[in-house]
Amino acid sequence: MLEAVRQFFKERHVVEVDCPFLTASAAVDAHIDLITACVNDQEQRYLHSSPEYGMKRLLAAGSEDIYQLSHVFRNNERGTRHTPEFMMAEWYRKSISFGEMIAETCDFIRLFVGDVPYHILSYQQAFQHYTHLDISKTSNEELLALLSSYDIVTHLTSKASDRDALLNTILGCLIEPRLGQQGLCVLTYYPASQATLAKTTILNGEEVAERFEVYYQGMELANGYHELSDSQEQRHRFLKANHQRIMMGKEKLPIDEKFLEALDHLPDCCGVAVGFDRLMMLRHDVRNIDQVIPFSWEEI
Amino acid sequence: MPQVSTNEFKPGLKLEIDKQPYVIVSNEFVKPGKGQAFNRVRLKHLLTSRTIDRTFKSGEKAEVADVNETQMRFLYSNQDGAIFMHDDTFEQITIPHKNLGDTEQWLMEDHVYDILIYKGEPVNVEPPIFLDMKIIETEPGIKGDTATGRVLKPATTESGAQVQIPIFIEEGEIVRIDTRTGEYVSRASDKK
Repeated sequence: MLEAVRQFFKERHVVEVDCPFLTASAAVDAHIDLITACVNDQEQRYLHSSPEYGMKRLLAAGSEDIYQLSHVFRNNERGTRHTPEFMMAEWYRKSISFGEMIAETCDFIRLFVGDVPYHILSYQQAFQHYTHLDISKTSNEELLALLSSYDIVTHLTSKASDRDALLNTILGCLIEPRLGQQGLCVLTYYPASQATLAKTTILNGEEVAERFEVYYQGMELANGYHELSDSQEQRHRFLKANHQRIMMGKEKLPIDEKFLEALDHLPDCCGVAVGFDRLMMLRHDVRNIDQVIPFSWEEI
Repeated sequence: MPQVSTNEFKPGLKLEIDKQPYVIVSNEFVKPGKGQAFNRVRLKHLLTSRTIDRTFKSGEKAEVADVNETQMRFLYSNQDGAIFMHDDTFEQITIPHKNLGDTEQWLMEDHVYDILIYKGEPVNVEPPIFLDMKIIETEPGIKGDTATGRVLKPATTESGAQVQIPIFIEEGEIVRIDTRTGEYVSRASDKK
């Protein structure tokens, strides 16, 4: 399948790159914890959670459309679909529309799961359809009540800072498992607070993120953006994420100034990251990520 | 009792949540939309058997429940309760009648039962799934009664349980009963 993936990109004139895994600064996200390495007895480096920062610097420097197939690393993530070291296929396309990027991502996924159709649903529509809630008009108390009605007891409360976590709990427990049962399901236009590295836009009077995720058989496979290229806005999001990290009792992460500098020169592009191992799980019809890698985290 | 973090959760582990004893039925690590990760844990209450789904922040700690499961042999009953003995230690305990619940009707001398001890108190007694017992009281079955459509009749077992048995079974016969449902399974022979 690695060969099939390379062929896919060759046909589309997307060039392979190989950015380093050990980075000096970090991907600053409140919910992604990085694995560190101590190099030369003194330097702390981070194992990348995605080749995104390196790839964007290359794009800003004038590269073609590029892809990277590599192992990425995430701390504190272990389950039947999560392992601290896993493989990602990530690529960036200049001057492609958001819709075209979605279509190409689905074509990529079809290499593994066969010729299945895809349909697009907005985040808001998904909530409307599966929980009958209009999230633009639903309070945190109502979100808690919904979970309660499904006998799900949560550690979260109705305070404002818990809203995204409440939405995520509902998404994770009640919506995601039902997505993509008849074909690929693409969820689009996430709340602006969950934009991370994507541009935002106004949809039906609400600010939303130009972000999409692809699901099949209840499993999340890809995360794509119309990439943000405003370094001021990005810095603001990084600072906010670091603040959230501190509130959660986590450590602050160093902001990548070289990345921010490059960001203002980033051409208009869309990017996507796809979980290669999960695609292999679907291809081989297995339920545990350990079954598609040579040595599991515990076995190695 | 010691604390465990969500990374150590696995089915069969007993936790105390809000001062109640539960056993983990399943544990799923969930990370939706790259947001905050949580563990979705299905818990079964050890006394009521009711299941709930509870989310835990990934990495959160929970307390292990002070629960012990043991097997003890029923000796006899008196006004205080039912007396059980542990085969290895010869330790005897008296479980008050009110803690026996439905199991009281399945108590048979010399049979072994699963006992759940929570915080040092025996709180639940489970009978074996199948028990062979004698029918001590039932109406005689009339040959040819199946014409009226009746196939079962009420009966009382030696342990005091009220069960439904086929009409061809007579008083004094030994039958196998499913203690989960009180249903007749088959005839049984008279050996322990």
